[in-house]
Amino acid sequence: MSSFIGKYAQVKRNQFRYNLAKAKRMKVCYLFLAPYAVLFFAFFILPILSSIYYSFTYYNILEPPKFIGFKNYINLILQDQVFLTAMKNTFLIAVITGPIGYILSFLFAWFINELPRWIRTIAVVVFYAPSIASNAFVIFLIIFRGDAYGYLNSFLLQFGLINAPYLWLSDPKYIMPVIIVVILWMSMGTGFLSFVAGLQGVDRSMYEAGYVDGVRNRWQELYYITLPSMKPMLLFGAVMSITQAFNVCDVPRALAGYPSTDYAARTIVTHLFDYGFSRFEMGYASAIATVLFLMMILCNKVIQSALRKVGT
Amino acid sequence: MSRKPQVRHIVQPKSKSRAEQLKFLAELRGEVQKRPQKTFNVKKFLIISAVVVALSLAVVFFAGYRLNAIDAYNQQVEETGQGTINTSSPIYAILRLVALIELGIYVIYAVVKLLAPKRRKPNRSIWGDIGIYLMLAIVAVAMVFPLVFSVCSALKPLDELFRFPPRVFPQRVTLDNFSDLIVTMGQSWVPFMRYLTNTVFITLVGTFGHVIIASMAAFVLAKYDFPGGRTFFSMVVTALMFSGYVTGIPNYIIMSRLRMIDTYWAVILPAFAAPVGLFLMKQFMEGLPTSLIEAAHLDGAGEFRIFWNIVMPNVKPAWLTIIIFSVQNLWNTNAATVIYSEEKKTLVYALQQIQAGGIARTGQAAAVTVIVMLVPVTIFILSQSRILETMASSGLKD
Repeated sequence: MSSFIGKYAQVKRNQFRYNLAKAKRMKVCYLFLAPYAVLFFAFFILPILSSIYYSFTYYNILEPPKFIGFKNYINLILQDQVFLTAMKNTFLIAVITGPIGYILSFLFAWFINELPRWIRTIAVVVFYAPSIASNAFVIFLIIFRGDAYGYLNSFLLQFGLINAPYLWLSDPKYIMPVIIVVILWMSMGTGFLSFVAGLQGVDRSMYEAGYVDGVRNRWQELYYITLPSMKPMLLFGAVMSITQAFNVCDVPRALAGYPSTDYAARTIVTHLFDYGFSRFEMGYASAIATVLFLMMILCNKVIQSALRKVGT
Repeated sequence: MSRKPQVRHIVQPKSKSRAEQLKFLAELRGEVQKRPQKTFNVKKFLIISAVVVALSLAVVFFAGYRLNAIDAYNQQVEETGQGTINTSSPIYAILRLVALIELGIYVIYAVVKLLAPKRRKPNRSIWGDIGIYLMLAIVAVAMVFPLVFSVCSALKPLDELFRFPPRVFPQRVTLDNFSDLIVTMGQSWVPFMRYLTNTVFITLVGTFGHVIIASMAAFVLAKYDFPGGRTFFSMVVTALMFSGYVTGIPNYIIMSRLRMIDTYWAVILPAFAAPVGLFLMKQFMEGLPTSLIEAAHLDGAGEFRIFWNIVMPNVKPAWLTIIIFSVQNLWNTNAATVIYSEEKKTLVYALQQIQAGGIARTGQAAAVTVIVMLVPVTIFILSQSRILETMASSGLKD
């Protein structure tokens, strides 16, 4: 047994030596990587680690952080009613806009792919423009305005569908549906582009082979040929759309106000901003950030392992 | 971890029986006469289209006639001061919608039949195509409507902005909102142009640095196998999954330790290290032939020379892609958490301030919205084909 461990250690040591020698030989590689790596560690890895550290402390910027164990997390779950609302809203938005946005981006990318070249160009711009002009969603403030001059209200009034203007953005009943619609409008993002590009790259001869082998309609073609060849893009698109679905912050803040009526549009990220940058309870905010981080990573892992099985 | 070579199975949907397969194979060999190809039947097409057009025109005319009649009646009654008939019944809207959809089907059918190439793709039924085109058209209108609406509101004079019922398109086009924006904001504490300059500066510097730094890292990650490289890349891929607001608070603390709060660098430095750019660049560079780099090595070029003179010119499409993502990110940043001085605030922050100005600033808010959205959309339109070229290699491999 001991000889086994000794051998294992020997192998590991040799491996390490080999790697070290290799690293020395390829010094220039590290030189190239260094600027990015330094910034990446400083602004992506270090923040995550320090966020986990601060989440166990009471920290208000002025005093040095004080270690308080799991108290932040306990308060978060047991005491903070608003956090639970935020959690509920975030999950609602993520569960509705994530999958629907993802599936719609794929379907429309697939439909667009069959158009003649010049129409395809226009269609890609039309579908992608809302997400790239990302602050343009403030125009929904006019469309959903609460008085009779708001576009939707006046439209409905004119057709006699409602009697009095609805307060789309102040009534807790309507805030969430409005926000979900706006987020769906913006959901054809990076994943959509990736799909459009990936579809153009699928080998044409596979479709011909499929036709000869008896694929009868477009849906069979989609399932048996297109989806399996698109797998890497599907994974990338999933990562992007999950990240987007959990990161909802600007839209509810701009449309429903900050804070919104009865916290009806509070999401985890707006809650985080509230505690971090309005109340400067950095420890508590870090606990929120850590929860959000864990949720996003977990969700991504689960969905990725599910997507790997598609079409094989 | 050796992987077995994957055998791609030949597609065999269950719907086909053995007899059908045999028949199909026989057709392929030319033993049996080929099934008659569906040809374009001009007569049928004309009859169907005529019926459809007649129907839709009838519906539209009927609805229009009814509405006109009621309008005339209302006018008559108004003079005498009696009750009027409500023309806003939803039934007319529905009728018009139906007519519009019919017309749409007809137009798309005609387009598909007349403009599409004579040899249609296999496995595509014409009615399926029509359904899909119709759906695409409807959704495209819904997608583009808010954008068109914002451009139109920016071009409306004040009285049209508050007219009831509101119209989408302006009647008297004016650029007053834009000039108002510059005039009124010019008299305030910080002129509007200052916000614009701030954003332009942040976007230019941030994007430039990001492209250089991320491509350098992507080059070695894609083309050399060195210890730690793969681990680093998998960390970047993980960072794709949480990039955003999660790091906001610690970033603030780090920035304040570095004494960079309230400088442009607080926005620019994190943008240099955006993971999406590195990811896309690395995936694209993997497509470059390794022989190119080896040949340059044999000719005695150093690593930096290879990077600058050989790799960079070859990945121009990827530049454009990460430029557009970086511009989109930085141009839309509001940075209110790390920048406090008014004269360093960004355009989006100004936009939010103007919107907070309420009803009186509606026109100017629409004008700012247009300015904010114009830049990224224009860059995207100009570089669209190159961007798609890069995104084709964007997949996340196991």
